[in-house]
This record gives sequence, C-alpha cells and structure tokens, in this order.
Amino acid sequence: MTKKIYLLFALAILCASANTQTLFDEEIHMPAGYAPTTIVMPPSPLTTQVLFVGGTDMVQTTATYGNPAGEQVAKEWHDFIGMTPDPSGQSIGWVSVNHEMIYSDDKLGDGGGMTAFRIARKADGSLEILDQNLNDGRTGKFFNVDFVNTVGETGMNCGGICSIVDGRIWTAEEWFASSNAAMYGGGGGVRDTSDFTITNSDIPGWNGTTLKKYQNFNYMVEIDPKQARAIRKQYNWARQPFEGGAVEPGNRIVYLGPDDTPGFFGMFVANTPGDFTKGTLFAYKHDKPGWKWVPIWEDGSMLDHKAFADQKGATMFNRIEWVAIDPKDNFIYFTETGLDSPSAAWSDDYAAGGVFHPATMARAQAQGLANPTDPNYHDYYGRVWKYNPMTSELTVLLEGGPDFDVSPDEANYPDKALSNPDGLTVVQIDGHSFLMIQEDLNGSSKGRVPAGVTNRTCEVYLLDLSIQNPTLDDLIRLTAVPAGAEVTGGIQTSDKKSILLNVQHPNTTNPFPFNHSLTIAINGLDQVSYDNLGNRSAELFPAAENKDENAAFSVYPNPTTRTVYLNKTTDVAIYDANGKRVMVKRETNEVDVSGLSIGTYFIQNADGETLKLSIQ
Amino acid sequence: MNRKMLILALTLLGFFISVGFKKSEATIALENVTKQFHQEMENMASAALRLRQVAEQLDGSTAKTLALQDAVAQVRLTFKKGEFLYAYLDPQFVRKSLNGAPLPSLVPNVPSIIVIEPSGLQVLDELAFGENPNESKAEIVKLAEKFERDFQELHDFQKTNKLTHRHVFEAIQQQLIRSFTLGVTGFDTPGSANAIPEAKAAFEGMYAAFKNYMPLLEEKDRGLAIVMDARMENTLQYLTENDEFESFDRLGFLMKHIEPQYQLFFEIHKALGIEFAEETDKSPRAVNSHATGLFDPNFLNAGYFANIDLKEPLFEKRKELGRTLFFDPILSKNIQRSCASCHQPEKAFTDGKPKSLASDGKGTVQRNSPTLLNAVYADQYFWDLREPRLDRQMMHVVMSKEEFGTTYVEIIDKLKQSEAYRQLFAEAYPDQPQYQLSTYTISDALSAYVASLTSLDSPFDRYVRGEIGQLDPAVKRGFNLFMGKAACGTCHFAPVFNGTVPPTYDDSESEVLGITATADTLHPVLDTDLGRFANGMPSNNADFMKTSFKTVTVRNVELTAPYMHNGAFKTLEEVVDFYNRGGGKGLKLDVPHQTLPFDELKLTRAEQNDLVAFMKSLTGDVSKFEAPTSLPVFKNNPTWNERKVGGNY
Repeated sequence: MTKKIYLLFALAILCASANTQTLFDEEIHMPAGYAPTTIVMPPSPLTTQVLFVGGTDMVQTTATYGNPAGEQVAKEWHDFIGMTPDPSGQSIGWVSVNHEMIYSDDKLGDGGGMTAFRIARKADGSLEILDQNLNDGRTGKFFNVDFVNTVGETGMNCGGICSIVDGRIWTAEEWFASSNAAMYGGGGGVRDTSDFTITNSDIPGWNGTTLKKYQNFNYMVEIDPKQARAIRKQYNWARQPFEGGAVEPGNRIVYLGPDDTPGFFGMFVANTPGDFTKGTLFAYKHDKPGWKWVPIWEDGSMLDHKAFADQKGATMFNRIEWVAIDPKDNFIYFTETGLDSPSAAWSDDYAAGGVFHPATMARAQAQGLANPTDPNYHDYYGRVWKYNPMTSELTVLLEGGPDFDVSPDEANYPDKALSNPDGLTVVQIDGHSFLMIQEDLNGSSKGRVPAGVTNRTCEVYLLDLSIQNPTLDDLIRLTAVPAGAEVTGGIQTSDKKSILLNVQHPNTTNPFPFNHSLTIAINGLDQVSYDNLGNRSAELFPAAENKDENAAFSVYPNPTTRTVYLNKTTDVAIYDANGKRVMVKRETNEVDVSGLSIGTYFIQNADGETLKLSIQ
Repeated sequence: MNRKMLILALTLLGFFISVGFKKSEATIALENVTKQFHQEMENMASAALRLRQVAEQLDGSTAKTLALQDAVAQVRLTFKKGEFLYAYLDPQFVRKSLNGAPLPSLVPNVPSIIVIEPSGLQVLDELAFGENPNESKAEIVKLAEKFERDFQELHDFQKTNKLTHRHVFEAIQQQLIRSFTLGVTGFDTPGSANAIPEAKAAFEGMYAAFKNYMPLLEEKDRGLAIVMDARMENTLQYLTENDEFESFDRLGFLMKHIEPQYQLFFEIHKALGIEFAEETDKSPRAVNSHATGLFDPNFLNAGYFANIDLKEPLFEKRKELGRTLFFDPILSKNIQRSCASCHQPEKAFTDGKPKSLASDGKGTVQRNSPTLLNAVYADQYFWDLREPRLDRQMMHVVMSKEEFGTTYVEIIDKLKQSEAYRQLFAEAYPDQPQYQLSTYTISDALSAYVASLTSLDSPFDRYVRGEIGQLDPAVKRGFNLFMGKAACGTCHFAPVFNGTVPPTYDDSESEVLGITATADTLHPVLDTDLGRFANGMPSNNADFMKTSFKTVTVRNVELTAPYMHNGAFKTLEEVVDFYNRGGGKGLKLDVPHQTLPFDELKLTRAEQNDLVAFMKSLTGDVSKFEAPTSLPVFKNNPTWNERKVGGNY
C-alpha cells in the first residue's frame, strides 16, 4: 500500500487541518444501512521529532555589549533552516535556524538572529543534537550565531541560501528600515545607532567604508554554522530586502530573490568559483535580446539598487520569496508571493524604466487593464516561476489561485487552492525531485481561507517536478498549519532521511511545544517510495477516480491515527460512541481526525451509510 | 464487528435520525437563501452603479447634493440587507474595500510599510453628508467608481461560492453582534447618523434569509418557531417606531431584542442539527459558539486569546502556580518586587500611580499600570501594542531594567533551588519532563493566571442578564450615551468595552487621542510619548501610528485611577471632560492623525455625570482575587524565605 499517506499523518501533527471545501450537493441524512469495514493499517515508517523550541531552549552566547559569554533563552519566529553537511561523516552536519523576530537583548544581540546546532543520526532513525566545543570556548548544544561582534547586528532574518555545493549558509535580512529611528524602534530594535565602519569583509572597496547604521541592514549575510558566527555581509550583492537565493553547482553563480515590490530577480557571478567577494551583480531583463541579464555595477548602485535596476529596464516582480535549485538539471524555481494591490508600489519604478514580464502584462489585461500599474490591478494569489539556466528563459510554472475573477463553473472548480507561495525548496524522495511549496497568506479574502474560518490557514504542498505544465490539481497537499502560523524553512537533511521544518508563531491552543516557534524533523523519508507519491488516489481508490457513485462507502485506513480517506467525495459526520456528533465535513474525501481522542466512532456519509471508525 | 457493537450501532441510528435533516426541506431552504443572496448582490450592483452616476452629476446645486445623499443612503441600506453574508463570507475584503473605517491602514504581512487609503461606504457617508460635498466631487466620484468595481469583485467571487447551513447561522449570529456593537452605535455611519434605519435593513435582510428555514423549524420545534416569528416582527416594528439616533434606547434594544434573539438563534442552530464551528475545524475562535448572548460570561473564549486550552485538566494547577509566581518577588533581580507590585488585586490590578515606580525606588517606568482584569481579551498587549502573545508579555517585564531587571536564566536558576517550586512545576507540567521548569512553563503558568482574571459580574452585567431587577436610572442613561451620543462604544466595543473589534474579536485597535501631558485643559501641552509608532515592531512604523495607544477596557475604571497611558487624568470626570472637548485636537493642539472625533460632543453636565455613573456600574467583585497566604520555601537559602508576598514595594 501507499506510503504517501504516512507522510501526511506525520506532517499533520503540526496541527489541525482546516478543510478548504465548502461545496456540497446533499445533506447529511439518515442511513439506509451500514457496512462496516475494518482494515488494519501497518505502522508508519515516518516519525516526527521536535529539535529546537524557540523562546524556551537555551543557547550559548559570546561576550556581547560588555556582558560576559554565557547562556540565554533563544529568540523566536523560526524561518529559514540551513543544512551544512559534515564531510567527515562523523555527523549529518550543522543546522542553522533564522529568527525573524526583532528585539533588543544584551546577550544575544539586538535585532534578529540565528541559532546553530549539530545533528547526528541515531540507530533508531531519529536525530540527536550533539554537544560541541567551539573555537571561541563555548560549549553546549545550541549556539547563538554572533553577529554583533562580527558584522554589526542583523535583523528580520527570514529566508536565506543553503548552497547545494558545500552547505555554505547565508541568512537574508529583510528589514528595510529607512532611518536609524525606525531601526531603533523606541529601544526595542537596535539600540546602537552610531555609524558602522566595515572591517574584514574582504569585498574590494568596502573595508573601511562607513555607513549609517540602518544602511548596514538588508543584505545577504554569510555565517559559519560550525563556529556560530557571522562571516560577512554581502555588500556586493546590493542592499535589498532579501528573502531567498540558490547557488548553482559550479559554485560561481548565485541567484537572488528580494521580497519587494518591485523585486528584481538577481544573479551574482563570482570571478573565481567559491569566492563571492569578487564578481558582478546582474538583474534579470526578459526583453533583452540573447542573454537576458543586465549588469548592475555603477558606483552607488549597491546602496540604491532599485533605482539602478529601474534605469536598466530590469523586469519587475511582485515580492520574490524563496529561490530553489533542482540538482538533477540545475533549473531554478522561485516564488513570487504577490501583493494584493501593487500599483502604488511599482508605478514610479515603471515610469523610471522597470518593465513587466509578458505573463504579468497578460494578467493585467485579463483584468481589463492596460498594465499592472493601474490602481485596480490585483495580485491575490502569487505564483511559482521556473528559470532555464541554459536559455535564460523565465516562465510561470504554476499560477496560484484559483482566481475567481474568471468564475469557473462548479464542474471545473479545482480541488486545491494555492495562495501566496513563499517557502520553496527541492526535496528528493526515492530519487525524484519535488518542489516543497510553503504558503504564507497575505490575507484571508478572496478565498484564501474557507468561508467561516477567520484565521489565516497556511498549507504545504509537494509538486512532482517531472510533470510537464503542472496545474493546481497536481499539488499534493501535505498539511495545513495552525491558525496564524507559517510553516517554513523546509529542507532535507544531507542524508536524505529527514525533512526539517519550522513552525513560526502559531496562534493556537495546541499543547506545548506545538504552540511555539519550533524546528521539527520528519524522519524516515528514505522509506517512502515515488510510485506511491505519484499515484496516490488512483492506487487507493480506483472507484473514486472513476466516480463510481454506486460503490459502497468505504474508508481507509481504519483504525487510523490522523487522516481517514473516503472512497468518494461526500458530506460526512463523525459521531462518538455515545452518539454525539463531534465532526462534520462537507464535500470532502479525506478527514483529519487528529483532534479527536482515541476511541471508537461512527462515520456517516451523505447517503446515510455508516461505518465504524477506530481512532488510535 | 461483533454482535454487541452491532446492537449499539443500531441503537444509535435512532438518535442519528432525530438530529438529522429531512433532506429536501433543508436543501430547499438553503437554495432559497442562496437565490435571495444572489438577488441582493444584483440589487447592490445596481445601487452602486446609480451612486456613481449621481456622483458624476454633482454640480453644487442643492438638488444634486440631496440626490447624492439619497444615493449614498440607498447604497448603504441595500448593502445592509446583505451585510450579514458579505461580512461573514469575506470579512477582510469588506473591511478593506467596502465598509471599513474611514482611516488609513497598512498592508499586512509585507516587509515594507504600505499605507492603504480608506475607501468604501464609511468614507462616502462622511463626504456625502459633509459640509460641501461638491467640493469633494472628484474624490466622491473616484470612491464611487472604486466601490462599484470592488463590489463587482465580491459579486464575481461569491456567485460561485456555495453556502452551507452553518454559514447562514453563523452569519446571522455575527450580524446580531455587529448590529449592536457597530450598527446602532453609529460606528459605520460617521456622517449621516442613519444608523437605526440601517440596522432595520440589516435585520430585514437576515430575517428574510432565516425565514426559509421556518418550515423545517416548525417541524422540529414548533415552540421555537412561534417565538422566533413573534420576535422578528417585534424587532422590525421597534426599529420602525424608534428610528432617531440620539434618543434610541440601546439598553432596551440590547435586553429586549439582541440578547433574546442571540439565544434563540443558538437554540435554533442546535435544534436543526446544524454543525457548529468546532465540529468542522480546530481553529480556535474568539467567540464561543455555544454562548447565549453578548453578556453571557462565556461569550468570549479567554483560551483563544491566551493560546491556552481552558479545558485542559491541568489548567487549574497551572493557574494556581501562576498565581503564586505572580505574587512572588523571587522573579525580580532584587527579590523585592513582584508582578503585584504594580498590579494590586484590590485596585483591579493597577497601582494607583500615574506611572509605576521603577525598580530603583525613585524613578518611574515609562507608562501607567493598566488593569489586568479582562486584559486577556486582546490581540496585542501593552499600551503600545508591542506584544502579540500573552505568554511572551512577561519577557518584557523580566528584561526591563526599570522592572524585574533580570533574565529568564537567572529566574530559572533561582526557582530550581526550591524543592517546593520544583514540586509545583512537576505537578502542573508532568507532560513536559524536559521543559518542566523553563521559560515556557513560567510564562504559561502566568498566562493561565492572567487568563483567569476575567471580571464580567458587575451590577451592569447582572442587570442585563436579568440576575438583578433594578438599575440606577443614571446608569441606564449613561449606557445609552456611551453607546450613542457620546460615541464611546464605537471604540470601547461591547461587551468588554475595550478595543477588541467585533464581531470576530480577533484584532485590537489603538487610537490617537491627542492626550495631554497633564489634566490642565486651559493650558494644554501634548504628551510626547510616540506610543505604537515606536513600539519596536517595524510593521507599526507608520506616521499615523504616532501617539497611538491601545484602547483599554472601561470595566473596573472606578478602581484604576489615574487614567491614560501617562496617568494624566485623576478622575473619570476629567476623562469625560477631555473627550467632550474633542481630545487634543479639540483643545487646538496639533494632532494630525487624531482618530477621536475632534468636534465637541456637547454633553451636558448631567450627561457627563450619567456617563460616569455607567462606568462605575462596570465594577466587578475584586475581592475574589486574592494573594496567596505564603510563598514556596527555599530550604538552602533562608534569607529568601523572608521575602514578602507581593514584594516590598
């Protein structure tokens, strides 16, 4: 039987799923009879494990702001995860976690930050956090990455880059403060607002340069996860509100994604492979004949990148988030998460020379508008782009939506909705590449959450990269996450056996630690096979695929732990052993029962067929 | 399945039948609701088109101005008929584009500050009923065009979106809350004051939808059907006969119409066997789906705000541990101050000082100590709204040099030295051996205690609930002023009378009042605290957030003087006087982004006294909140055992 569903079970531990279907034809009504089935589910090969709890676990700190080295409670709002393999083979490697939350702290440093730790695989397949002795004398399990004594503080560490070549890590600063006062934040942000003089960056022309303090933020910052210290801010990749990036296998090119409207898809080409202190920065320009990149190298362009990119007529995007690379063919993927009404944000840039990709223009025209600077232009759902490194062509891989502006009739209404894709990584399962797409909703309007659900509900999807021209129906839904939470940072461990994920600022009554920012591992991924992932529903329920309305109601697995699948799409109600109705789902073929306690229940469909259901 | 199980299942079938639907009637009811809804949207689209056409014809003549005002009023009335569904199905879109407050807002969830200028019916109401609409013609036309287009967008979206029974009944429930808290208070009619006829339109719209369920209800529970039928007629008649804004009896409307119908609709929802929200997904919600009225003590779910499951069997133990920690000065650096130093139960958990005493015993902290009673009912905490999580609120106090001046690391080290404390933590958190004494457990226990500090048992509550039969007429008059002419209730939303926004209560508002440095209104000087603007959250770094402060609860204000974030006002009379004069801007101070209406409220002396009487009727029983009699012992550190419950100062 399929193993895909086990993955679902494991991920569902993050939270309850909020069903996105609200359509229905029939009411729940009385059973005409029932035909219980009992199928015993084999034990799941996947397990989850909590690795690092924000705001709770202690991290080792360096001497900071005149305070001695010591211990402090870690910061929160986990976002990006870096995975640096251990070439020695003594461990899996080093994990580094971004903290997007900003606050001043005498020991950790003001602004945001990162935490680093080292993991190894235990005999039972789970992970352990190793004790380490760092060169600076710190010992322990979790280490605060020192930014204060190395590159100046950091802030709003959201995404980042994890090189597929050697696991080098850059953290992305998305804190676009435009003045020292904004950065100071009444003392809650960065308190030291004196000018910052750059030292030891090794970037030609930058050492000795003095910047206003706020200008020392919004860079990609390389860190050393093994010694838990920052190395340099990448001033030569320009000051942009960065979110993601990817290094290509030759170790010469880095692709860059800034979370801004307009954001310019960027590329840095190093003079020498692996040495990113010297090289040239480019911005993507789709309408340039031949190679579609223009260099941005004028004096002053690093601190005012947007103006120079406009001037060069670079292609404007509406908030680029994560950038991922498929190691099988080196194609690049990035998310453009969208902004509901971007007009005001990029009209000036358009006037200054920035251009729109034909796909973006077409969207405006479909809305009856001349171009995307019209105040009525909307971009509610975002999308995933695909870049071909051989041809430098950029195409939309998958549009978010469905966009109800086109009013699909019911029969054509997609089963899945993808809104505001954000986190993006390539994971390999059974030798095949999948995009792992993580939502971070910009809002709840326009169907981004189901009617009757007031909270934002973010989901995680897998997309098989071997599918040509994928549609929303090709997405494999992994999980929805708790109210207010964002699942992000998803990355595969270098031994391919686990996925690491962050849950950020959940707003929920889930038991600790699932109500905190945390880093978790899903172990046992090596036991999941591709065939099952690719053919889930057909294999599970051929009858459902054929829409055979006459097939008897059946559910699988039973007993279940997390999710039960139905052989047809229907309204269902679940009753407890006392006959009290505890759950109702409309027009669905799967039910997340993780919120129900262990015991015997009855599940009834719209035709009144009732089965015994055992939850373990 | 064994035989015993089979028999049990067969027995249950009878029960299923009794709660199930008779398929055809339920389906027909919903189909009719849907048809009506689609028709309402068509009507709305026509009204929006007409409004734009009328706006384009504005020429300064009285006739055209009156035509515009009529068109705005018509659009609003038409909108109100479908409001319960529009606002339920896409609350964010309605707030942002169709009928949001006439104030700028920020694009959520983006790294930069992007201001959304207000648009929609409230702005149109303000302009059309303003002094000279013709002067704003270009703006009015633009807003009318935008409204027409935005409504079209909602229309396109909703005409393919299928309703369920749950949606209809939850939408009705929300509309009851909305009509009372935002409708009849004049919240969304800043210009026309046409609030009561609009409320009537809203009731007509939702009754029309509900009536489709009457045949089904008559079959299920004839008594309920008869009562509801009479109620609906009665309410519409009442709103027809009492349509004047200032004289409208809000208290009577609440007690005779809103509360009884809230309960009846809940009973009907149940009787029809329609699922409740918690049966469909686990997302916690602020409003308890089984509450029977706005003034039901369980109307709001404290657990939702505190991220705590109040049904968790260990909750009581955790709350008790939290109470002990709250009064224990061991948490502070010098072991002389506790949470209760500034939050004293007998003063409704405030300290009676303009600004709380700093840890040096001489200076003060930045702001006035706010009450903790009902403080849990908020989406963000502190006067400047800098903390969205209650469990993280404590961190700010721990780390502040003027307050506890310590770190969690030190606190944990100290607590671990007490066997008694270790025992208490082990009993309260047996499920978390690895984190038994950690920042999580300390802050969770304190959160549990703060979540338990709810006070909804004042004389006013008890009168509304019918637990007492009499209420001072001054209080009644005061409530009607509070919710009407004095416009207090448009920011201090019922039933907590704070800035947590109905009907979903999932957002906390702050306001710019132009608060003065002292109570001297003859020589007013602006207070310099930047408030929310400087709270350290980059997303609040917008100009209009300058000097914006949290709208705190009015409950228990009798015990919490002095008032405002700076404690500038010593008495409630001074506070009412300040609002009556139109806040800072009303005092001719330069407050560019003041959100408080700066026209005088024109309250008479007697009316001001009535307002104060009403506020004093919101005082709950604080004697039930007691400090522990003793604190856990430190065997190896006898000097610590001399510490006082609640601290020294």
